[in-house]
Amino acid sequence: MTTNEKIVNFFKDRFPLEKFFILDLLAHKEVPVHKLTFGYYTGGLTLLFFMIQVVTGIILLFYYEPTISDANLSVEYLANFIKGGFFIHNLHTWSSSLMIFFGITHFLMTFAMKSFEKPREFTWITGLLLLGITFTLGFTGYLLPWNQIAVNATKVGLQSVQSVGQLLPGPLAQIPKTIVSTFQGGDEVGQPTLSRFYVLHIAFLPLAVLILISVHLLLVQLHGMSQGVDKPSLKVEKFFPEFILKDLMAWTLVVGGVLVLALCLPFEAFLPYPLLEPFNALGPTPGGIKPEWYFYFVYYPLELLPFPVLVVLSMIIIGILVLSPWIFRKTSRKILTIIAAIMASYLFIITVFGQQIYSYLKP
Amino acid sequence: MKKTINILSFIVSVNILTTQSVFAFPQFEKFVAEHSGKPVNCAMCHANDAGPIGNDPGQLGSLTKAEMEKVNLARLALKPGQKVDSPILNKFGNHIIESIGTEKFTQLLAKPEDLAKELGNQSDLDKDGIPDAQEYLDGTDPLNKLNGDPSKLFVINVQRNAWLLIYMAVSLYFIYFGLTNILKYYKLNKG
Repeated sequence: MTTNEKIVNFFKDRFPLEKFFILDLLAHKEVPVHKLTFGYYTGGLTLLFFMIQVVTGIILLFYYEPTISDANLSVEYLANFIKGGFFIHNLHTWSSSLMIFFGITHFLMTFAMKSFEKPREFTWITGLLLLGITFTLGFTGYLLPWNQIAVNATKVGLQSVQSVGQLLPGPLAQIPKTIVSTFQGGDEVGQPTLSRFYVLHIAFLPLAVLILISVHLLLVQLHGMSQGVDKPSLKVEKFFPEFILKDLMAWTLVVGGVLVLALCLPFEAFLPYPLLEPFNALGPTPGGIKPEWYFYFVYYPLELLPFPVLVVLSMIIIGILVLSPWIFRKTSRKILTIIAAIMASYLFIITVFGQQIYSYLKP
Repeated sequence: MKKTINILSFIVSVNILTTQSVFAFPQFEKFVAEHSGKPVNCAMCHANDAGPIGNDPGQLGSLTKAEMEKVNLARLALKPGQKVDSPILNKFGNHIIESIGTEKFTQLLAKPEDLAKELGNQSDLDKDGIPDAQEYLDGTDPLNKLNGDPSKLFVINVQRNAWLLIYMAVSLYFIYFGLTNILKYYKLNKG
């Protein structure tokens, strides 16, 4: 017996994973090979960025002070005076954006591939919930540095939620107000808001993600990979280790890319410096307040369309997405791919050219 | 023409020195905002983001007698090379006065675009690799190493961290190589 075999056997004896049924599932799991196979990698990449978020987030907790007097200072201190502090903070910021980017891509790909088809309805719904929580993680995390853009963008976001109440009938009208007052913790965005967003961001939401991700992954393993294309692919590859090996390659390349970004390109460089100054409640609100890029798809329509129209439209779209497994039961994947392509085009255009469109329509 | 500008700047300088009235110079802010297309504020050069007028910290109304003397000393720095430490200015604001003097500064009120040329490319107060003069033109913060034109910062940081990036790439490759071989070994064993 070689040394390698001895080491492997040592661990195999102590961790008899073959008794765990998931391994059995993995051993028999197959991945269809077709033109949309790359879509199967997007979920794993979203998971990867969530893991990076957890690790970097825990490190940031050692220095971050969740008080309105010290929050901004603690972030500045970490970035400027702690060895590797800037890198970890920047990695956290970049990976949050990339987690949302791959989350959206995964959502679009699974929609195009009709991965919500029976019996995967709950996989789809848990996925939608995870996407919603990921956006909420972004929203709550945005406030934590307590700078001008953080506080003012949060104010705008909370006011938008509260405004929905005006459009709801009877007792329902109180729901958005209650939600906002619960999270805001007072009449204005202040210390109670920061404390609540902090707890949501570091404990409540990550815990919710962990629970939902466990259910989501379990369902994915139980049901296996979806067919993905209308005409079932004859070519398949073993999930373990062929697909895992390719997944590992994708993870390595993406991790390499995000490490380069975290080391060489401060995320803050994309923001005008007046927005990065510590929040001053008495000072004027600086120009250019906008949410993070991943909210542009709601932000620009909010600026351009009448509020009631946007709310009704959003409700309809959310309803359609949740009920997709039933609404699109008989729809071909070709049609779903076209719908996904339209959604992707909208997201791309509004995110990249939203400001120009806004300036053109409202000079 | 040059003579007229000199006379004008002399009058402005004398005004600055002899009165307690406050001079803010929005010409520079306006030029930077238009040139860079980015929202900017007084915090590029001033201690307070709302400028020197007012009673808040870093504004004239809040200064002690000793601090006011520092302001006046800065106003008296007509020629370049004099050390100034005005409490209404930040490090970059004081650096401008030290580099070009108040006389030249007042001349530039009519041509704020020339301030970058006058400052030259030697100074980089935040040590981010982008000269202060360029940051002035780009509308970015010359005192914040994390704020600058993204493409310039990226290129500079790639050059600065070249070795680290190579180490990272090699480390990642070895991790990938190791994990891949563990999986392959496991497959062979199963097979």
